[in-house]
Amino acid sequence: MVRAWRALLIVLTCALAGRAQQQPQQQRQQQQTVTELQKAVEEFRVQTRALGLRADSPSQGKNAKAGAKWHGRLFENFRNNFLDAVPHEIVQRGGTKGGLQRNQYGFNLSGPVVIPKLYQGGRTTFFSVTFEGVREKIARTFLRTIPTMPERAGDWGATVDSAGQPLPIYDPASTSANSNFNAAQPVTPENLQYNRLPYAGNRIPPTRLDAQARAALDLYPAPNSDAGPYFRNNLFIVAPEVNRADGLIARVDHSVRERHRLGVGVNYSNGFDGAAPWFSTIANPGPVSRERQSRRLTVEHVFTLSARSINTLTADLSSSRTNGKPALDARGEAFPVYDFSPYLSMGRSYPLSRNVRDPWVVTNGFSTRRGEHRLRVVGRVTAEHVNSYWPKYPSGNYRFTAGLTSLPGINNTGHPFATFLLGLSDLAERSVVASPSYFRKQGYWLALRDQWELRKGLTLSLGLNLDTNSPKVEKYNRQSTVDLQAINPVNGRPGALVVAGANGRGRAFQPFTAKLEPSLSLAWNIGGSTRTVGRAGYSRSYSPTPIYQGQWSTQAFNGTPTLVSSNPQLAPALRLADGFPLIRTFPDTRPEAANNTVADLIEPRGLQATYNSFSLSLERELSSSLIMTMGFGQSGGRNLLLSNSGSNPNAIPLAALEYRDRLNDENFNRSLRPYPQYQRFDVYSSWPEGRYQRDAGYLQMEKRTSGGLSMSASYEFSKQMDNYSGPYGVQDYYHRANEWSLTAGATPHRLSLSFNYELPFGANKSFLTVTDWRRYLVEGWSVSSVTTVASGEPIALRPQFNNSGGVLDVLNVNVAPGVNPHVANTGPEQWFNPAAFSQPADFTVGNASRTHPSLRNPGNQNHDLSVTKRFALSAEQSMELSAVGLNFINNANWNDPDPMIGPASAPNVNAGRIIGSTGSRVIQVGLRFSF
Amino acid sequence: MKTLVKAGLIGVAAAIMASAAPPSPKTDRAVLRVPYWMVGAAGPVVHAKLNGETVKVSRLLGPADDLVILLVLDLAGDLSRVDPARDALIDHLGRLPANAMVTLMRSQDGLRVLQDPTTDRGVVQSAIQELTISGRAALLDTVETALAVGDAMLVKARVRVAVLYVSDSLVGNYREDFANPVVNSSDSRDMSRRFPEALIKERLQQVINRVGKTQTPLFIVQLNYESDRLNEAYQTGLIELAASTGGEAEFSRTLTEIPVAVSRAMERVLGHSSAELEFKRAKARQWEIELVAEGTEVKHRTRFLPGGDAK
Repeated sequence: MVRAWRALLIVLTCALAGRAQQQPQQQRQQQQTVTELQKAVEEFRVQTRALGLRADSPSQGKNAKAGAKWHGRLFENFRNNFLDAVPHEIVQRGGTKGGLQRNQYGFNLSGPVVIPKLYQGGRTTFFSVTFEGVREKIARTFLRTIPTMPERAGDWGATVDSAGQPLPIYDPASTSANSNFNAAQPVTPENLQYNRLPYAGNRIPPTRLDAQARAALDLYPAPNSDAGPYFRNNLFIVAPEVNRADGLIARVDHSVRERHRLGVGVNYSNGFDGAAPWFSTIANPGPVSRERQSRRLTVEHVFTLSARSINTLTADLSSSRTNGKPALDARGEAFPVYDFSPYLSMGRSYPLSRNVRDPWVVTNGFSTRRGEHRLRVVGRVTAEHVNSYWPKYPSGNYRFTAGLTSLPGINNTGHPFATFLLGLSDLAERSVVASPSYFRKQGYWLALRDQWELRKGLTLSLGLNLDTNSPKVEKYNRQSTVDLQAINPVNGRPGALVVAGANGRGRAFQPFTAKLEPSLSLAWNIGGSTRTVGRAGYSRSYSPTPIYQGQWSTQAFNGTPTLVSSNPQLAPALRLADGFPLIRTFPDTRPEAANNTVADLIEPRGLQATYNSFSLSLERELSSSLIMTMGFGQSGGRNLLLSNSGSNPNAIPLAALEYRDRLNDENFNRSLRPYPQYQRFDVYSSWPEGRYQRDAGYLQMEKRTSGGLSMSASYEFSKQMDNYSGPYGVQDYYHRANEWSLTAGATPHRLSLSFNYELPFGANKSFLTVTDWRRYLVEGWSVSSVTTVASGEPIALRPQFNNSGGVLDVLNVNVAPGVNPHVANTGPEQWFNPAAFSQPADFTVGNASRTHPSLRNPGNQNHDLSVTKRFALSAEQSMELSAVGLNFINNANWNDPDPMIGPASAPNVNAGRIIGSTGSRVIQVGLRFSF
Repeated sequence: MKTLVKAGLIGVAAAIMASAAPPSPKTDRAVLRVPYWMVGAAGPVVHAKLNGETVKVSRLLGPADDLVILLVLDLAGDLSRVDPARDALIDHLGRLPANAMVTLMRSQDGLRVLQDPTTDRGVVQSAIQELTISGRAALLDTVETALAVGDAMLVKARVRVAVLYVSDSLVGNYREDFANPVVNSSDSRDMSRRFPEALIKERLQQVINRVGKTQTPLFIVQLNYESDRLNEAYQTGLIELAASTGGEAEFSRTLTEIPVAVSRAMERVLGHSSAELEFKRAKARQWEIELVAEGTEVKHRTRFLPGGDAK
């Protein structure tokens, strides 16, 4: 029996072994492989069916339900001055507290659209809605100069000029011609054209003070600061700005059979910008509070024609509305503007406003592929409506200059505020808006793009746009301009007012424009390496003239009647006591209706700003997560649209300075202008004379790691020059080449550093993988930071006096030969050497450039930090606590130095010095619940 | 003697039965499948440690073993980037080894199966050619489901499984609002958008935490490479997301790099091995893995979260 069992076992074993030997090893593996793969496939089918991922899933159930999850968040961001550092500017004025209370709150909800028992959006119809509200009160600070209390009473005995010397005030009533004047010599204290007596004791008798001026002064605040020098910077304003806003964005997306997607979005926002009042009275010269409303509707239809062709049609209709809400008097009128610079004026321009801007855009884009070409054709139609009621000076603008209280022709005598006390304005104007303006324009844009893989590693992108624009028209043809060819009936010279749609003229004053905008770019993996990418690009583009808000170019229907002094040193244009007379009624479409005013002028050729840019860059992947990019770019523009400070088509040629004091005679002065019937032209940021060029080189490093860390650093060195920019304007309108200098506001060095780091603590991380309660403390931390450091902008120096008889709107300083403008140790006490510059002599131009080629204002730096802690409440829910610190190191950036250069006889003691610094750490604490 | 013979027969029968069916799971045992790559000369993993303690390596599957690739296309944007990706995928599919099966899914507007796993390359290639580019990006919404399907296959069959996403998603083309656009344009002192990446980072961390317990490696080919702060955070998050599953994310900065990125990802997918670790289930916050091979370096997934240790 035992033998039998043994034999059976041997036989069985041999049989099994023999069968195994008969099967080749590979075949066995193959059998097993098929089995395992089949199992995998079967499991895939089971799982995907159960999850509703298949067309044959029983109910698309689980996935549909999974897709039915709604996600969202509730959030609150909180700021209060008790979290912040006291702003440096407040500390420097003796304050101990800033003022900030802010709450920003809202929610977001998104997911499939579900209407119980009616509609299950599932994966086809999706919505998202976000609401956000803001309530804010923030202290604003300003340091300004206002008249001292004795000056307001007419006592100028203690008043000094910028050098600390007594400032004499002369009595205009004592003016008489100097019979000994030698017209062949310049006007000097020894060779006066007119004699005039100073007030006794430098005190204007109370009886001479204008009653309206005195009444207005009741609305002026008293000095409260002594920042200096002397009595300057004597009003420190800390005023609350109160803002509120409520807005909502809602969007619905609907897909139809994977070929059509329809998206509809609605945005609305209502807000109130409560500007910080500089004064608590209606004479407030600060910004005006405004109500804002914006509405937007977007509709998008994406149609996938085939795997390689897509058409996208979008309509974007928006509307924004602002209404000014100034303080008004009992009659419902705004306070007039009393301008007696350098003191802070009273009242402000554009106090009343009702503006609506409605841009409507319809775009259709079609993308397809043909061989190695990827083509895209885009057509766009735009229509823009601007409805505006925005009178500049509805209650009048009264300008006061030193002339009438000066010794005529002698600098550093008299004062605009003293002239105001006498009620003698040398220019008075009042805006009349009889009807709001309804401007309209259209644009048509067609773009062709071809991305062409020329060969492996080299991709070329070619583009050509046709940009066509209609000129601006007014719905009721209430539009006018000066036609520089038309003859003015009053003086027979070119330049007369013309009206749209009348006397054979069309509805517009500019032509229909059509411009071709080419572009070319390439990306090249140099040497076939994917680690190195070279890029180059060129493009040319044009910018059509925008529609501005306001009544510019409607002068025949809404005008600003103006009174101008015949000689600002000798006679006022208007006495405040006399009130503003009725000069014109509207509409007034006569060709001469704009004579003697600042006439609105539309550039007739419709020249558009033209931009060219060229760029070259090299990207190199240094390691798998570190990329370095270096590049160079050059951009330039011409026909840039300039404002009135950059352009003056009615400027007097500089050669006229030889007439010296005769230029103060308004009639003589006007006769020298190209269009003497007008004071000047208002071109309202639309005169195409600007030019610029910018050259920049940069280096960027980016690093992204799987450890949740990303960092980037970029440095840029640039040089930008132009012929128009600056805080004051240009000196020579006729020789633009003389104005070619560094762009004001351009910073040559700019460094930016940022990082983003999910700290590696907690579960599934590298460190502190604690399992107990401590995990709530260590998990979910992240830190982000942004740092920017920029060098200063070019300094624009300015002489203290501009005695050029109105020829020069802006006067540059003179350079003192051989004097170094730089100082060894720059600091607030001396940022630059003012001795390197001088005040030009009367009736001469300054020889320095508009902006200095090497002097720069202080640079600035900013360091922002965000720390967030996330608490995972469940797989889907989390709470995030964040603290964002703006300027978290509480760095103070210096203010700019005083750029005003006085004459040698009365130098500005403050020139080159810096008063104070600004900045403070602001902390925002946020809480967000996400589900 | 009888007893000996009986025991021998039972042993042989048991051995035969054991070779025919996988070992039945024991409820107190956990199994982890760790994706790994050999750096340098290939050699078997000789031992593994879990939270510092040696555990049993119950099975090793290498590049020669069967592989199922779950190819997920998440394409909702620019055709100019999608087309080269399609071409590259089609090219690579034609060159896949015989032991690789491919299944095709689309991610935009929710995960859907376009083609069941198959070794018929032509069918998948045709499906890729015909795929329409519509809808919204959905990688973050679908990746968990795709990995869960992969995990289920890993449990049922002795195969390697990898999920490969080819995506052109940007933060802005998700349905969910991660870009946090300005709601009140008049609010000029809004600091909440100074660090705009907060929302996308939060979402990514949620997803990363959840996929920490899955076992299928995730590979991502991102067709876009954007340098703005928002997309930078997103792309860094994708790197972290893929790495947390043992996979990798590839990015292409130019059209030329798209086939290269696809190629790199495919190589990683095809070249990955899987080590099955068996150990006694114990309460742990996370499982830290260490694989060692003699004479060569092993690059592998190092962390799992408990919860996905299905057997």
